[in-house]
Amino acid sequence: MLQVKRRTIFFYLLPIIVMILFINMTPILYTLYLSFTNNTEFNESYNFVGLANYIHLFFTSDSDLYYVLALTVLYVVICVALFVLVGMVTALALNHPKVKGSAIWMSVLLVPWAAPAAITALIWKFLFNYDFGPINEIGRIFFGAHFGVPWLTNPVAAFAAVVIVNVWLSYPFFTVVMLGALQSVPKEMTEAASVDGANAWQIFWKVTFPQLRPAVTPVTILSAITTFQMFTTVYLITAGGPITDPAKPGATTFVMIYMYNQVLGASAANIHYAQIAAFSITVFIILGALTFLARALGTRRSEVQA
Amino acid sequence: MNEELSGNILKAESGRALSAAGTAAIAKERVHAQSRAEVARLRFLRNLPVVLIYLYLIAMAIFALFPIYYVVQASLAGDQNLYATSLQLFPGNPTFSNYVYAFTQEPVFNWLLNTTFVCALSTAIGLFFSLTGAYALSRFRFRGREASLSLLLALQAFPGLLAITAYYYLLQYLNLLNTAPLVGLALVYAAGSLVFGTWNMKGYFDTIPVDLEQAAMIDGATMWQAFWKVTLPLAAPALAASALFMFVGSYTEFALANFVLNANSNGSNLTFILGLNALQGTYTTPWGYFAATAVIVSVPLMALFLYARRFFQSGLTVGGVKG
Repeated sequence: MLQVKRRTIFFYLLPIIVMILFINMTPILYTLYLSFTNNTEFNESYNFVGLANYIHLFFTSDSDLYYVLALTVLYVVICVALFVLVGMVTALALNHPKVKGSAIWMSVLLVPWAAPAAITALIWKFLFNYDFGPINEIGRIFFGAHFGVPWLTNPVAAFAAVVIVNVWLSYPFFTVVMLGALQSVPKEMTEAASVDGANAWQIFWKVTFPQLRPAVTPVTILSAITTFQMFTTVYLITAGGPITDPAKPGATTFVMIYMYNQVLGASAANIHYAQIAAFSITVFIILGALTFLARALGTRRSEVQA
Repeated sequence: MNEELSGNILKAESGRALSAAGTAAIAKERVHAQSRAEVARLRFLRNLPVVLIYLYLIAMAIFALFPIYYVVQASLAGDQNLYATSLQLFPGNPTFSNYVYAFTQEPVFNWLLNTTFVCALSTAIGLFFSLTGAYALSRFRFRGREASLSLLLALQAFPGLLAITAYYYLLQYLNLLNTAPLVGLALVYAAGSLVFGTWNMKGYFDTIPVDLEQAAMIDGATMWQAFWKVTLPLAAPALAASALFMFVGSYTEFALANFVLNANSNGSNLTFILGLNALQGTYTTPWGYFAATAVIVSVPLMALFLYARRFFQSGLTVGGVKG
C-alpha cells in the first residue's frame, strides 16, 4: 500500500473514469433511455412513453422475443452439449495410455483455437456452398451427382451448419480444460477401482467423471453465456437466415443477430429504435442474471473446495 | 451397511479369484489348441479400443484441419477453376496468380493498413486509459475501490453490440462518423478492452512488491517516477499480453465496423473482415481470390499469436489469475 493524497489517487484514476463515463456508460444509459421513448427512424420529435415498449415486447402476439429466445436457448443447449461431449471424448482419447504422440495430436487438434474466428466463419461459408462447396462435392462422390445438402437455404441444415462451426471453434478449449483435469486425476484411483473389479465404463462414470466436474462446470457455464451472445460467426455464415416465413425471423436468428438485423432495418420500412432498445435491455438483464448466477456458483464451488 | 459392503467385497474377491483361475486354465488349454490365426484375431480384439481411438483421432484431425487445408489449396489452385464444380483436393499446377491478383486488383493493402491503424490506435488508447487506473486500483486504498472493481466486471457483462444505436449516435455527436470513422471505431474498441486491460494489469501489479517503489521513493524518486521507472518496466510482460489481447480483440471485429463504415467505390476504406465478406457475393464469389485474400489476412494474425505466445505464460497467467 502506498500512502498518498486523495488528489493524487483521483489524478491516477481520471483517465479511466473519463473513458468509462463517456464511451462505456453513456451508450448503455442512452439505450436504457431510448427504451422508454417512442423513437423511430422517422420520428424526430419522440417523447416518453413509459413501459409501452416492454409491454409490446412481452405481451403482444406478434412479438418475436419468445421465438428468438427459444431459438437461442436451443442453440446454446445443443452447442454446449456437443462441446462437452466432443471435448471429453477427445481428451479421453488423448489421455489413453496406449495412444502415442499425444503432443502431436494435440497441436493438430488445437488448430481451430488459434485460427481467427471471423475469417474461419467465412471459410466455412465457402465450404457449405451448395454448388461449389467441397462438403457437397465430397458427398457427390459417394451419393451420386444429384447429392447436395442445402446447407444455407434449408432452416434445419443452416441451424446444423452453425452448430458444426461452433463446435469446430470451441471443442479445443474444452479438450484442453478436460485433459488438464484428467491428468490431475491420480492414477491410483482408477487403478484401485480396476483392482476392485470395476469395468472401464464404471471407472469413467464413478471415478473419473466426478473428478472432472469441478473443472468442467465453470467452463460450461461460461461458454453457454458466450454462445448465447454469439454474433459474428453466425452472422457471417447465415446472416440469421434462411427466412421461411416472412412474419418470423430466420432459422438462425439468435438474440444478437435479431437485434442487429432490426437495427440495420433490412426487413422493415421504419426502424423502431425504441423497441430495439427495449429488446437490448431485456437481453442485457438476462445475460446479467446468467453471469451473476455463474459467479455465485463459482464462488460456492471454490468455498467448498477451500 | 458396513457388513453388507464388506460382504460384497468378499464376494467380489472370491469371484475374481475363481474367474482368474478359470481364465488361466482356459488360456493354457487354448495355447495348445488354437491356430495362429485365432491368436491374431484375439490380439486384434484386445487392441480394438486403441484402433478405434486412433480412427477417432484421425477423423477429428481431418475435421480440425480441413477448412484451413482447403482454403490454402484453393488459394494456390489458380484461376482456371474459379467456379469449378469438380472437387480438387490437390491443385494440378499450383500457382500464386490468386495472390498476385489479390494484391494488384483488390485493395488488400488498404484493408490491412486500415485494420492495423484501428487496432494499433485502440490498443494505444486502451493501454493509456487503463494503465494508471490499474496502478491506482492495485496500490492505493480508497473508498469505493472494491465497488469500482465490481462495477468494471458488471460493465464487462454488457455486450457493446446491444448499444450499437447509441454508439452510432455517440460517434455522430463526436463528429467522427463522416470525418474519421476509423478513429471512432478505435475509440469504441478501446473502451471495450478497458475492463480486461485494467483487471489484467492490476493483477500483475499486485504481484510486484510495493517495497520496490517505497525504496525508490526513499531514494528521492517522486510517486510518478517510481511508477514510471520502477513498476512499469517490471510489468512489461503484462503490458505486452494486455496489448496483444486488445489488438487481437479488435482485429476481426465485424458488427460495429459494418455499421459505421460505408464502402467507397472500390472498398479501399474498409477493414479487411468487411472486405473479405464483400468478396463473398452470393452468386459471383471468386473463390480463388477469396481464398488467397483469406490466407493473406490470417497470416499476420497467426504469426503475431505464435510470436507472442511466450508472453502469455508470464504476463497473462500471473496477471489474470490473481483477482
